[in-house]
Amino acid sequence: MISSFTYARPKTLQEAVELLAKPGARAHAGGTDLLGCLRDEVFSAEKVVSLSGLSELKTIVPSPLGLHVGALTTLAQVASYKPISGMYRALAEGAAAAASPQLRNQGTLGGNLCQRPRCWYFRGEFSCLRKGGETCYAYDGENQYHSLFGPGPCFIVHPSDTASPLVALEAKFRIAGPAGTRTVDAEAFFVLPDAEVQKENVLKAGEILTEVFLPAQAGLLSTYRKVRSRGAWDFALAGAAVALVVAGGKVAKARVVLSGVAPVPWRAKKAEEALTGKALDPAVIRAAAEAATAGAQPMSGNAYKVDLLRGAVEEALRAIA
Amino acid sequence: MRSDLYFLAAIPPETPRPEGELPPWGEVRIVGKRLPRVDAFERVSGKAVYPRDFSLPNMLQAAILRSPHAHARVKSIDLEPAKRMPGVVAVLGPSSPGADMEWFARPKAKGGLLLDPHCRAEGDEVAAVAAETLPQALDALKAIQVEWEVLPFVIDPARALDEKAPKVWDEGNRVADPVIYERGDLAKGFAEADVVLEESYRTPCEIHVPMEVHGSVVAWDGPRLTVWDTTQGVYAVQGTVAQRLGLPLANVRVIGHYMGGGFGSKLEAGKYTVIAALLAKVAGRPVKLFLSREETFRVGGNRPANAIRVKAGVKKDGTITAIDWKSSGTPGAYPNNTNTAFQAADLWTCANVRTEEAGVYTNAGRARAFRAPGFPQANWALEQMMDALARAIGMDQVAFRLKNVPTVSQRRGNQPYTSTGLAGCLGEGAKAFGWGTKPKAPADPAIRKGIGMAGGIWGYGGGPPSTVIVKLFSDGSVNLNMGAADIGTGTKTVMAMVVSEELGVPVESIRIEHADTGTTQYATPSGGSKTVPSDSPAVRAAAADCKRQILKMAAAELKLPAAELKLLGKEVVSAADPSKKVAISAIPAFQRQQLVVGIGFREPNPDGKVINPFAAHFAEVEVNTRTGEVTVTRFLAAQDSGRVLNRMTFDNQVFGGVVFGIGFARTEERILDRQTGKMLNANWHDYKVPTALDVPADQATLVVDARDTANSTNTKGVGEPATIPTGSAIANAVFDAVGVRVTEGPITPQRLLELLARQKARG
Ligand SMILES: Cc1cc2nc3c(=O)[nH]c(=O)nc-3n(C[C@H](O)[C@H](O)[C@H](O)COP(=O)(O)OP(=O)(O)OC[C@H]3O[C@@H](n4cnc5c(N)ncnc54)[C@H](O)[C@@H]3O)c2cc1C
Ligand code: SF4
Repeated sequence: MISSFTYARPKTLQEAVELLAKPGARAHAGGTDLLGCLRDEVFSAEKVVSLSGLSELKTIVPSPLGLHVGALTTLAQVASYKPISGMYRALAEGAAAAASPQLRNQGTLGGNLCQRPRCWYFRGEFSCLRKGGETCYAYDGENQYHSLFGPGPCFIVHPSDTASPLVALEAKFRIAGPAGTRTVDAEAFFVLPDAEVQKENVLKAGEILTEVFLPAQAGLLSTYRKVRSRGAWDFALAGAAVALVVAGGKVAKARVVLSGVAPVPWRAKKAEEALTGKALDPAVIRAAAEAATAGAQPMSGNAYKVDLLRGAVEEALRAIA
Repeated sequence: MRSDLYFLAAIPPETPRPEGELPPWGEVRIVGKRLPRVDAFERVSGKAVYPRDFSLPNMLQAAILRSPHAHARVKSIDLEPAKRMPGVVAVLGPSSPGADMEWFARPKAKGGLLLDPHCRAEGDEVAAVAAETLPQALDALKAIQVEWEVLPFVIDPARALDEKAPKVWDEGNRVADPVIYERGDLAKGFAEADVVLEESYRTPCEIHVPMEVHGSVVAWDGPRLTVWDTTQGVYAVQGTVAQRLGLPLANVRVIGHYMGGGFGSKLEAGKYTVIAALLAKVAGRPVKLFLSREETFRVGGNRPANAIRVKAGVKKDGTITAIDWKSSGTPGAYPNNTNTAFQAADLWTCANVRTEEAGVYTNAGRARAFRAPGFPQANWALEQMMDALARAIGMDQVAFRLKNVPTVSQRRGNQPYTSTGLAGCLGEGAKAFGWGTKPKAPADPAIRKGIGMAGGIWGYGGGPPSTVIVKLFSDGSVNLNMGAADIGTGTKTVMAMVVSEELGVPVESIRIEHADTGTTQYATPSGGSKTVPSDSPAVRAAAADCKRQILKMAAAELKLPAAELKLLGKEVVSAADPSKKVAISAIPAFQRQQLVVGIGFREPNPDGKVINPFAAHFAEVEVNTRTGEVTVTRFLAAQDSGRVLNRMTFDNQVFGGVVFGIGFARTEERILDRQTGKMLNANWHDYKVPTALDVPADQATLVVDARDTANSTNTKGVGEPATIPTGSAIANAVFDAVGVRVTEGPITPQRLLELLARQKARG
């Protein structure tokens, strides 16, 4: 049950930042993840601060350097906005593959990137490490949906289907907070549990993700392949976002970023190396897919994800080739 | 307790009407048509009031405190802090009056209690609160202080009989002695076989996930209790509630007009109803008690997981020489049927059969009947085995099965089936599906296509008792009064069509009153796919009773023999000379009486015969060998359910059954934590029911009507038979596509990739 809280709907970013800097305050964008967490008592809120009054966070502004996407843009808008589905296809596909139509109409890009993990112990009545408890239940428990990569001591997978595409597309995240604004690379936004086990990203108290910037890159090709156990309304068992700059029939630059297999969007650097400088022929694709699994450390129940991951990377690359 | 084949249990027949059974309809006018539901508008517009939507003035809201542990004992419990919480009006604990009534009786020993200090599964009930609002009730639950003694638990049925396994019950974890059935000579059968195969199969524990969660609203009026329940059977709930509360049946009125799905989990009275009644008694006010979605997942019931080992022999010519079947299942912590053997011993011709089945207790939520209890599980094992046998002797799967279609029920002393459309389902189904033409291989060699099929039988065909009243008003409009629930299957619609067929009145002129023990007549709960074959003959008989009375009055008026007359809605016409007619409003005897009441009973089924619906399902799948994704691309369900009363609601049932089967085969599985025994996926997104994207757009039904004459509407059931062979057909298609047998369901990317990796390693 949701315990009681107060509610505020600030009109300015400044006001929102001030409200959110107070202990127990939580940002509310579309609420599709927040309300679930509150209802399931994953955490509580003393004050819910709605971001819905901040209209400047709802715009998509093209510039010669790239595309500025406001954090309150809904996933449905991200999926269908032409400049995104054209130039940044992986992001559009990631957004379209998330959740269900209803959730995509309500859920925002910022909320998708800041959503809490779906580990069923974390979401259930278990006081695990990520909730400030003593132990990781997944380690000895039911870990078929948990991570292959990462240092521990928590083995979540990052739930977002837009995060890996954004890391692949070298997006930059703009953050507003009590100390002013700052910009971080998408890759640097997400944190591993050995750094901070109770957080998934670098946001500090009072900080709001305001904008995602997609830099323009000539010759950029990208795609996102997600594998799930049912056709919709299901998080990734594993997925691969691939962004390539192809010039003269060869891969000039490659990013291969995995989803569903690590606590953060996981760059498969070995796969990127296997692609760079090569033509995308079937042998190269297979080698890159194999390389993407390098360093995977399966748990008791998720070894299948190694094969699955190889398959997802191969299919993503085949879709581009 | 149900017997080993509970659907065989003898039900005493009603006294037949002196006129005897009605002859089958000749040419039908309305029955069989595609007609939208009589309550479609109410249902889709939100006007239909489901029990979950129902409120009474002055009503309290209640909630239940449950064990967070898989196995634990309440060392102490303090209800006082809850009683002091705002809005709280009544609190019950294990020592409150009535809390120690037995619930979930066991065959030879004492069962559980209503509020039991010994909790044998997560979610077991220990206390309850009624308050002004639901949040107040939930806050009060948190204030109850419980000191738990956490006990060791067992959740793995394969380990439950180990000597060292924790005991769910003091006497041990066996539910009952194994049930054994034998015919012929197994050793001889295996000796005769050219090929003998042996395989172990496992099926997942599925949750019913009805749209409407379980619960009731209750109100006392002095010694009389009224219950608005989301139920499949108002009379079943009335019986249990009256018995548990020590009330005469007449003092318990159960109303269940609309209900949002049950699939077997709402066949019986829930603890929640009686807890609500006790709270309402203490409070002196009406009480509403509905489970949360999470509670429904944990305690609302499930399809028990089964482990089935099959050994079978076949001759090169396709003769099945022996079937050795060993099945076990777990009902969770309290008894319930987990049997599967019937189908193995009855579906295909085989002289030498042995089946053995057993159940073991585990510290998990209790199973309930679940859409064809035991049958999809049995079919998963049997029909994958038949597929493997046919392949082993190089025979086409349909031809192999056609060779083995029985005309008598071997499991029930070779009694003949009243009708069997099994051969028709197989043959006509294969033709309609295009069986035999291999699907075109996709360009990408990692994507494989395959086709598979399976046959099936359902164990029950309906029967007495059922009493129905039809009232004909002086203006020709009609009131149909029956006890049966419409659990979403279209019962009201098809029964109105039966009345319309018999009386010639349009369906729109028929008002339906149903599912109310206070005002409607006795019906068994809507389960077993037997509402149509049990109740539609009684509906027809009641309408016919009205007609007989009207025709008699008209005969006197027209001075013609009643046998010559026909009732056509508002007129009675001579069949011999249509110019001789009288409006019913002009029949003086009817006008004096103003109302004709017809009573109909369900006649007994024919002696010495058995009634069963049959099916054959055909699937085409696409398998991605890189990712383990399986897509069902095409599906055809051929069903022998006797006469189809409404092709639209029939198709709804079959499509629904297939969707259920896709969930069983592909996505659904309860997951318990091995460390705590707690259910991990007790929510909509972790427990994966199929979505629209998991169901093929190319889905067809085929009616194979074997012209059953066991009852006066020539009907058998469809709701359950339509989900029995689905999963097996898909598993067989997956084998056809990639050459691996997924013996343990569901066929997730995880399982398939593991099997494909093993296949690769073998080379
Ligand atoms: C059943 C279900 C299935 C789903 N399946 C998928 C899936 O397959 N793939 C997938 O990617 N996602 C999936 N989701 C997640 C869904 O996409 C997210 O819930 C949604 O994108 C969150 O957006 P929101 O605006 O509603 O966020 P909210 O619920 O409002 O916020 C989510 C979290 O982020 C914080 N937050 C929100 N906006 C900001 C901001 N601008 N700055 C800082 N913090 C912020 C909030 O405080 C909160 O903690 C699923 C969700 C559900 C409920
Ligand atoms: S994986 Fe992380 S969130 Fe899940 S139980 Fe372990 S510590 Fe908790």
